[in-house]
Amino acid sequence: MEEKLREELIKLFESKLSKPMQMYLETCSRCGICTPACHAYASMPQAKYTPAYRAEVVRRIFKKYFKLQGKIAPALGAAKVLDENTLDELYEAAYSCTGCRRCMVYCPFGIDTQQIMSIAKLLLIGANAEPELLTMLADVSVSKGEGIEDMKESFMQGLKRLEDQVLEKWKMEAGEMEAGETPIPIDVEGADLLYVALAGAHSIIPAAAVFNAAGEKWTLSFFEAVNFGAFVGDPTKTKLILDRIVNEANRLKVKEVCICECGTAFRVMKQMSGSQPFEVSSITDVHAKYIREGKIKLDKSKLNLPVTYHDPCQIARNGGVIDAPRYVLQQLGADYRELSADPKYNWCCGGGGGLVAMGDETHDFRMKSAKVKADQVQQTEAKILATACENCHAQLSDISKHYNMDVEVKYLSSMVADALIQ
Amino acid sequence: MSDEINVDKVMDLKGMPCPMPIVKVSKGIKDVEVGQVIQAISTDPGSLTDFPAWARTSGNEILKTEQTEEEFVFYIKRTA
Ligand code: SF4
Ligand code: SF4
Repeated sequence: MEEKLREELIKLFESKLSKPMQMYLETCSRCGICTPACHAYASMPQAKYTPAYRAEVVRRIFKKYFKLQGKIAPALGAAKVLDENTLDELYEAAYSCTGCRRCMVYCPFGIDTQQIMSIAKLLLIGANAEPELLTMLADVSVSKGEGIEDMKESFMQGLKRLEDQVLEKWKMEAGEMEAGETPIPIDVEGADLLYVALAGAHSIIPAAAVFNAAGEKWTLSFFEAVNFGAFVGDPTKTKLILDRIVNEANRLKVKEVCICECGTAFRVMKQMSGSQPFEVSSITDVHAKYIREGKIKLDKSKLNLPVTYHDPCQIARNGGVIDAPRYVLQQLGADYRELSADPKYNWCCGGGGGLVAMGDETHDFRMKSAKVKADQVQQTEAKILATACENCHAQLSDISKHYNMDVEVKYLSSMVADALIQ
Repeated sequence: MSDEINVDKVMDLKGMPCPMPIVKVSKGIKDVEVGQVIQAISTDPGSLTDFPAWARTSGNEILKTEQTEEEFVFYIKRTA
């Protein structure tokens, strides 16, 4: 590695050294409590899949360049020179961690391995060694935002095609709508709620049907919720993708920004948007509220198979949405079975941190590291596996095929939309 | 379909939710030579904004877009 690049990477490392990060890097007592907490290790017991080992790869670079002992006597402090080999180790550590933070719940010091891995991801970007696909998706997302004025027409055209399907789920005829009402409102200043969906139709149709059925004054965002900048660990792109939604919400003067079933989008909006004049909610929260307030009615006779629910790590453990999905499932009349006694300790599905978006490249690792998840689901004997995150849904569907599980993976929001009655 | 565009590879992306169509095309385009054309067929309306943005960032060119009742057809020339 050229010295110039190394210097640039050290500067990038330094940019991440906040007070909490320094604490994470300096505190680990090697107690090993976190070891069995990681689904990757629990499914494939190898030292490299323990949270502390992953963190150690970053910690050694920290020792080499930021601690006196590492600078003058590297061998003593197990400090590590930043070179091509270290980049390979960083890649393996970062892209075998889903950022689920289950280890953090167990660690007596609350060490956040996901945050430590964000240093690894940033160094990989600096060295142009990050997964190409994730950068491509982040760039496309940024580009869509920049070119939004040129794309509005195509976007609206796409939405028009979905209207009939929204009406069908909403159980509404086009002629029955009130004057000025539209199945998918967009760019409505003064709406109460801004819904931020994914680019796909599956994220828009059921949500629109439920908003309309509840009589919500809502408007759809021009932007997609998913933050590929966060997956690849690029702080600049993460912020660009986040800020344009925040700006749109403020321009339209909405009171609430509701994030679709996307864990990363929810965590980023909730934890990184700062103090804003709007609330941030997950679509599951909103659905639970509609049911509680009697704004929507559900057919309770539809679910006649046992159901379990996978808590997406970024929505439950890291986002605090735990009661709402259980309430919704109860109101759907489900024979409900818990996956873990305390949802805070739920196993990650194994698909977070960008691993699902990386597709075939990570398939083998994703399947092997999800063994504990597959076992957990099978023990419930549920036939429907509900979840509220696109990423988890994709991973759980892959797991279900791989392990020949007799279970149908469903989006919770679609289950609500399918059960709507007038 | 198009008479005037010579297609070198067809990619059937029907039924895939966004952003999978551009994920597949970004890999598939490497299988054709610079100057050759991919015909990508998708059904998710999100493709209408995903494909132009992908083409812009990857430096490839969308020669033509066709829409039918159910499908979106993109003719993409590998230029990068
Ligand atoms: S954040 Fe999750 S995947 Fe990463 S080390 Fe901790 S438990 Fe393992
Ligand atoms: S539980 Fe915390 S202190 Fe113990 S090894 Fe894991 S990260 Fe280190």
